Amino acid sequence: MTTTLVEGLKERISTSISMYESLGIVLPGTNYIDLIQALFGCIREHPNDAWVYIAVTRPFESFTKMLGDLSRYPNVTFVDCISRASGIVRRDEQCVYIESPTMLEKVVMEVMNLFNKAPENAGKCLILDSLSTLMIYNDPPLVIEFFYHLLNKMRSENIHTISLVIEEGEGDKYINKMIYLNDKILKVRDTFI
Amino acid sequence: MNKDKCVTGIKELDIQMDGGIPVGSTVLIVGSSGSGKTTLCMQFLVNGAKMGEKGVFFTITEPLFKLMSNLEKFEFFDKSLIDNGMITVIDLRILFERMGLDVEKYTVEDASALLDVIKDIAKELEAKRLVIDSITALCYRLQSREMIRDFIFKLGTFLATIKCTTFLTSEVPPREFKFSQYGIEEFISDGIIFLGDVERGGDLIRTLQIIKMRGVNHSRAKYAMSITSRGIELAPLLKVEEISSLLSRKVR
Repeated sequence: MTTTLVEGLKERISTSISMYESLGIVLPGTNYIDLIQALFGCIREHPNDAWVYIAVTRPFESFTKMLGDLSRYPNVTFVDCISRASGIVRRDEQCVYIESPTMLEKVVMEVMNLFNKAPENAGKCLILDSLSTLMIYNDPPLVIEFFYHLLNKMRSENIHTISLVIEEGEGDKYINKMIYLNDKILKVRDTFI
Repeated sequence: MNKDKCVTGIKELDIQMDGGIPVGSTVLIVGSSGSGKTTLCMQFLVNGAKMGEKGVFFTITEPLFKLMSNLEKFEFFDKSLIDNGMITVIDLRILFERMGLDVEKYTVEDASALLDVIKDIAKELEAKRLVIDSITALCYRLQSREMIRDFIFKLGTFLATIKCTTFLTSEVPPREFKFSQYGIEEFISDGIIFLGDVERGGDLIRTLQIIKMRGVNHSRAKYAMSITSRGIELAPLLKVEEISSLLSRKVR
């Protein structure tokens, strides 16, 4: 069942990013791991594309535990927004650490620096994991402004964006406002497949 | 490249100034301790040197060895630019000693002698970019507001004639929106770049704002500034929080 779900998600994500500039994915927390596997499946299937993964929900370390050796995904670089704030001090060539998830402008700067290093003709894709977690650390209106800036910046640079929202209970009004800024929304449900 | 503009080499800053600073301007770089004044100035000199413009850096606040060891951590810094004379770094305190000016307060003659030496150095080295770090520490030795005004005005006027663009760093207390210690420097300068910070969730976000730049249709927006191993980087500052904190202050 899980394999089917991951494969289904992978296919829908791949199709969506080939058609739309920005994709919003709304999912229940219970399907988080499935989605991560699907996303990294997509990353692996597009080895010539440059991917940047903004990690707010889980630290970079946790991805190495979830996915194993990340050198199998050399085309992805992480921007970890939470490790430093939690007092985790590590270094890794595949990860850029931000001091705090409140430093949203710095996130944009680091993302742009990473994409600027990518080959000019490579496809570029940004994953923001997640808008809902960013709202734990920042005022919701600030996150909306940040997301507006980020989406527009990425659109102007022809970079695809995948933003995640982890749903807990009823949909939040700010989350609804933000997620509809995307060109396409994918809602993951138990009856998804 | 526009010959009338001095390109700082910090992309976002140049964009904000429609291409750069008008050549020959005197710009006050204002900020509290640790705000990035010295880094901004050195990046300005290094980027200039890489474009073939010679620069001079006068330091009063930091000994040379400390300044150098701090700069070596930045990717933009290239020590060969100092070795080959594209950038000259001078410790003003050593210069004061050699000129017999190691006194607490200067007379008009002392100030005039110092001004002549700085002018001679800039001319002899054919400097196109000059930094005094900091003008606040230098002005401390001048006895009156008139002497400060006269010193900066004469220095700026001379450097403009040799088409040398100058950065003067101005030290201000943290969290105060003032541009200088003596209240004069900002009126004589052609430009003011203010380095400050805003608090967000207990963290301090560095900011940069161009307050004034004569002869340029410049942005007045506040930018978030980051100092990384690459040097200074800027991105538009998110505004929502500032607006809501201003509103809550008014309500109180």
